[in-house]
Amino acid sequence: MLWYKSWLETRWRFLIGLALLLCSAGAMVLTYPRLQALLSHIPEPQLGGALGERVREAIELSREYRGFVWAQGFSQNLAQLGTLFAVLLGTGGLLSGGAALFTLSLPATRRDLLRVRAAAGLAEWLLLALVPSLLISLMSPVIGESYGVVTALAHGLCLFVAGAVFFSLAMLLSTLFTDVWRPLLTAIAIAAFLALLEQLAPRDGGWGIYRVMSGESYFRSGAMPWAGLAASAAASVALLYAAAVNLERRDF
Amino acid sequence: MADPLVIETSDLRKRYGAAEALRGLALAVPKGSIFGFLGRNGAGKTTTIKILLGMAHASGGDARVFGLPAGSPAAGVEIRRRTGFAGEEKDLYDYMTVAEIVRFTAAFYPRWRRDLEQRYRRAFDLPADRKVKALSRGMRTKLALLLALSRGAELLVLDEPTSGLDPAASEEVLQALVSHVGSEEMTVFFSSHQIADVEQIADRIAIVDRGRTVVAGSLDDMRASYRRIQFVFAGDAPEMTFRAPGVVRTHRQGRVWSVLASGGADAIVEEARALHPVSVDVMPVALKDIFLETVAAED
Repeated sequence: MLWYKSWLETRWRFLIGLALLLCSAGAMVLTYPRLQALLSHIPEPQLGGALGERVREAIELSREYRGFVWAQGFSQNLAQLGTLFAVLLGTGGLLSGGAALFTLSLPATRRDLLRVRAAAGLAEWLLLALVPSLLISLMSPVIGESYGVVTALAHGLCLFVAGAVFFSLAMLLSTLFTDVWRPLLTAIAIAAFLALLEQLAPRDGGWGIYRVMSGESYFRSGAMPWAGLAASAAASVALLYAAAVNLERRDF
Repeated sequence: MADPLVIETSDLRKRYGAAEALRGLALAVPKGSIFGFLGRNGAGKTTTIKILLGMAHASGGDARVFGLPAGSPAAGVEIRRRTGFAGEEKDLYDYMTVAEIVRFTAAFYPRWRRDLEQRYRRAFDLPADRKVKALSRGMRTKLALLLALSRGAELLVLDEPTSGLDPAASEEVLQALVSHVGSEEMTVFFSSHQIADVEQIADRIAIVDRGRTVVAGSLDDMRASYRRIQFVFAGDAPEMTFRAPGVVRTHRQGRVWSVLASGGADAIVEEARALHPVSVDVMPVALKDIFLETVAAED
């Protein structure tokens, strides 16, 4: 029944997230033909420096469908929206629900409560990461393109594992603060700060959580970012463990 | 042989930063008793309940329920499986309906009493399909009580069960409790600062103040042993220090010495007679006076 409680508490966040991510993925696929037409009329940009290089790269990537889906979807829209909903799914829980004493009066350990909540949230996050990715494969024939299911699943997996770090961070923060807003805003601020750091970092080197999330190495070379995925999974486990320890030592 | 203890604490301490919520609290709640836990707001009642149910961690001392250590997570699960609880705020899951929260709670208790659930749902007139957030304070209290009473528990822990209720709803809740305890074998431990509630249903009490137990025992024994003794003198009452045991509080004003005694009234009267009072009155004391005087004595 703790599963049921977790579902009731997070279902709207999950369903809204699923709807938005599906709309985002669907709209992206449907706009590709118009973008293609537009690109044929755009002259080569004359911008110099790193910015110019990025703009040129984005245009080049968009000339090909697979590149467009990666640049627009997995490294932007789905990553950004996904991060937001991973954080949203991780917030809330025992401290902010307003019925903590009733929950704690049940014959379940605090670790059980956290374990079920984490598992339910991660299951929802897995669906948020995979279903919109698969929609891209399903909808691509509509515009006369194709996008492999395996490729979609690979990117969805990267999105899930790296995004789980933000989910776990939000869960940890939710065991530190008694309201919903501070964990939510703090986690989003940390996510934005990491994104900024990656933007400033050299493009051809280093590890970044958003690079893992977008599956950049898989897109460019076909190699899954196993080290990054393992590091993300380890970070998630560590954050969830810290959340469990913190929850156990708390007074209510 | 004395009844085994369902709840037992010794030298129980709890500190929140610099504030001491419990300062060596000692409690002994025998099996089968209806134990009223009386105290002013902030005396440490809710903190004690939270420690007993594993919701807060003690800073020192010992707390046991059913002989199990309340601070152990594993033992805590067993304690809570055998305990029904309703908190002061009656905070429940607002997003569930009455039927959903009943079904949810029942799933945790193998000995859930479907018959009691049905009985209290009818008696309390709780609409199954109404969301908890749409219930009035009184209805919410009744639902919390239904969820606590139907667990098939051996121990019922209630934190201020009638808090925030109007007199009619309060009476209804108390009557339900009395009738439930009359038909089921269980121990009830309830906190309150409503002395009338405690007098109505408790057979044993403890008065707690500033984190310490100041009085504890059977309510009947207390009524039998506590006395107010009033000495009136011809002139101003003389200064004196009572050596007889049992003096809880003394008060001198003008010609009158007033003494609250927890026992041994005869010895106190005998001691005071040496000062030749013109009159001596020994009167029974209401629980309210015992409470007010013992708590005031601590100030």
